[in-house]
Amino acid sequence: MKTKIKSVLETSSVTTFEDVCFMYQVPELKKEQKKLKPDAVAEVKYKGDHTGRLVIEAYGDLFSAIAANMLSDESPSLHKKKDALGEIANIICGNVVASLGRSEKGYKIGSPRSLKKEEWLKEKKTDKPFAEISLNFNEGRVDIKFFVDGEISVKEKKIDKSSDC
Amino acid sequence: MALNILVVDDSSVMRSIIIKTLKMTDLPLGDIWEAKNGQEGLRLLHEKWIDLALVDIHMPVMDGEEMIRHLRENQQYENLPVIVVSSESDPNKIEMMLRQGAMFIHKPFKPETLREVVIDMTGVNYEDKD
Repeated sequence: MKTKIKSVLETSSVTTFEDVCFMYQVPELKKEQKKLKPDAVAEVKYKGDHTGRLVIEAYGDLFSAIAANMLSDESPSLHKKKDALGEIANIICGNVVASLGRSEKGYKIGSPRSLKKEEWLKEKKTDKPFAEISLNFNEGRVDIKFFVDGEISVKEKKIDKSSDC
Repeated sequence: MALNILVVDDSSVMRSIIIKTLKMTDLPLGDIWEAKNGQEGLRLLHEKWIDLALVDIHMPVMDGEEMIRHLRENQQYENLPVIVVSSESDPNKIEMMLRQGAMFIHKPFKPETLREVVIDMTGVNYEDKD
């Protein structure tokens, strides 16, 4: 299940960056772009048979580049930059929750929100993601983490297994 | 024939992306109107001449499902081409939209996908641009 979610997380993230931001991965980052702290973090919560959240962390100049590319605006406002990062999180989350198995009630994806530095640091210390990936771009790096609250139930695993057949 | 299009999404960023993608399709576009929920969308439909609506599902005040239901109950709009643009993955919800005569585009999407669906729904194409 973990491998499947990681694979869906990676595929949907790459496709989202390509189709929505017109940004394509590069194999490695330049040395000066390897920053330790993210410039911005956005979070989207989901609710259904499982609950959890998706967190996206933008490093280097990527935070600005995402909004600039999405909106064709050379100097987007901070508000627009945050909205753009949140939308990316929202789209990726919508694609990943589908791979958790069919939810009777369907999954409800919440509105994206920006995380403050202290919130991000606190969550980073306490929570371990179910799946995470990193993507490198010319402008910087993005880390995307998918969290599932509790454990994925045996019932869900069975549904998932039968749907694979 | 240039298409007058209504884009309904609560995210201004998403509306901008949809409009940007529409412009990349090379389809004949007329006026493009924006609304941030279904209620605003319905109001604009009453006020403007609109040929096609691109609608998100999850929105505050009035969501996409309710907006489409209102459209289908109104003789004036029962045949209005509607494309639902969403990252929704619930097959039941998608099926419900299709039953209402709407088409569905999953986010993220390429300009070519949007172009094909718009042509399917409206019958316009590049030759109509002039």
